[in-house]
Amino acid sequence: MSMRSQVYAWNGSNFNPALATAAVNAYSGGTAATPGNNLTGQQVSIFIGGFGNNITKPAETTATEFVVIEDIACTPTLNASGGAATNNPVIAAAANLNPLPANALATGQLAGWQLFNNTTAALGVVFVNQNIGVFGPRMYVQVRINTTDYFLNPDNVTNSGIPGTASPYPRSLDFQPSFNLYPDVYVLPGQVWDVRVTSFCLGVNWGKEPLAAVAPSVTFGNGSDFNAFCKYTLYDGPDALIANKLLEMGISINPGNVDWYKRSLLSAQGM
Amino acid sequence: MSMRSQVYEWSNLAPGGAGSTLVRSGADLPCTVNANVSTDIFIGGIGNNITKPAETTATQFIVIEDIACTPAIAGAVQVRINTTDYFQNPDVTQMNGVPGLASPYPRGVPSSVLGGNAGAAVNLGGVTVAPDNLLKSFDLYPDIYVLPGQVFQILYATPQGTGAGAGGAVAGNCRVVSAFLKYTLYDGPDALIANKLLELGVTINPNNIDWYKRSLIEQQTRSAVSAAAAQTNGGVQ
Repeated sequence: MSMRSQVYAWNGSNFNPALATAAVNAYSGGTAATPGNNLTGQQVSIFIGGFGNNITKPAETTATEFVVIEDIACTPTLNASGGAATNNPVIAAAANLNPLPANALATGQLAGWQLFNNTTAALGVVFVNQNIGVFGPRMYVQVRINTTDYFLNPDNVTNSGIPGTASPYPRSLDFQPSFNLYPDVYVLPGQVWDVRVTSFCLGVNWGKEPLAAVAPSVTFGNGSDFNAFCKYTLYDGPDALIANKLLEMGISINPGNVDWYKRSLLSAQGM
Repeated sequence: MSMRSQVYEWSNLAPGGAGSTLVRSGADLPCTVNANVSTDIFIGGIGNNITKPAETTATQFIVIEDIACTPAIAGAVQVRINTTDYFQNPDVTQMNGVPGLASPYPRGVPSSVLGGNAGAAVNLGGVTVAPDNLLKSFDLYPDIYVLPGQVFQILYATPQGTGAGAGGAVAGNCRVVSAFLKYTLYDGPDALIANKLLELGVTINPNNIDWYKRSLIEQQTRSAVSAAAAQTNGGVQ
């Protein structure tokens, strides 16, 4: 098995909702005062980021391995209008009303997302600016080879990567890919590679109640969908050598071309 | 890495719901987008922007392969190379570009997602969603080439406009809109090859760049073999 199709699926919300808040925060980076996603705007490795499911060491190729990354994807986001966040907890509290629930999206893979349009901190930070008008984590995925980020802005400044909205995981009728990773990304022998996600969402709270004093009976659905996905092919041993040869020749590295090269060698030997 | 697939995504989201930002954050709010004004998604001063106009250096070549935008509020995207708009009406007058309904972003998105009880479509859990999944009717083929040294813009325009989300309770008419650009950046030697393919009238894509490289290698191999043969023959004579 010297050419192997591989996938790595990452779930940043792989918690047990029945866990205590402290345990949830241990996954999410939150604290007792501000439970939820305190990693907003921070790039996190899906392999060794200390968040969600991880592996034992950085992803790297040995001297006899060659990796071709063929697809990356993450949770998409759906634009809406500000009116989708109809419950203002400040107004609701003044009227002595339960401030929750706000409107929740009830269709597609982001069903259950709730938005809040409170722009003050009067009722606690968990209600403030909960990504007004946007259902989903505003998630991006970047590939890094050694210390170089693959995706750049047109001004040649590195960016957060591919939006999940352009390359959604999972794919559905509601979210279909606009992006195709072609040409593929090659990880040469001896290189370290990483797939890193960034989200710009304050509202991800991993299904836990935000603050019991404010919302005694509400469990958010936000954050239950916080995924990343990487599809790659691992070439090992002789096939990695052939992959290097194809690279020198300017031929795309894929299983078909590796097989073609093997057949060429056999033909040259008269077989 | 001299051929790289790249994307750029723009949304009218910025901290405080006004102006632009170079770095996204969790505190971003929807910004006002005025009706009938073309906004450069790179340096237009609304939502997430970059540091300078998008341009190619002398050693870069860009092939734009897809553009798309939010279908709501009749949004459309236009490509401008230097000062020339790519999409035009049959009477050669100016237009807004490719409608989001024809090239939606994301693909599969409902044509309209409204808030509260507004709208008259399907009400699903308090959020009104148009009962459709838009697919693309438009395919950007042939691709658009941005030659070395050219400046390019992607312009988003809507005839309806949308309000901002800053300050107190958010008005129901504020809407988040996005635009999307997919392109391939050829840099260094691959940009030179792209120019050569352009001269030859061959479509510029990663396959053809690789084909040209292979041709050069084969040519060099043949030349080396011929030279060796000639030397051998010369030695005999």
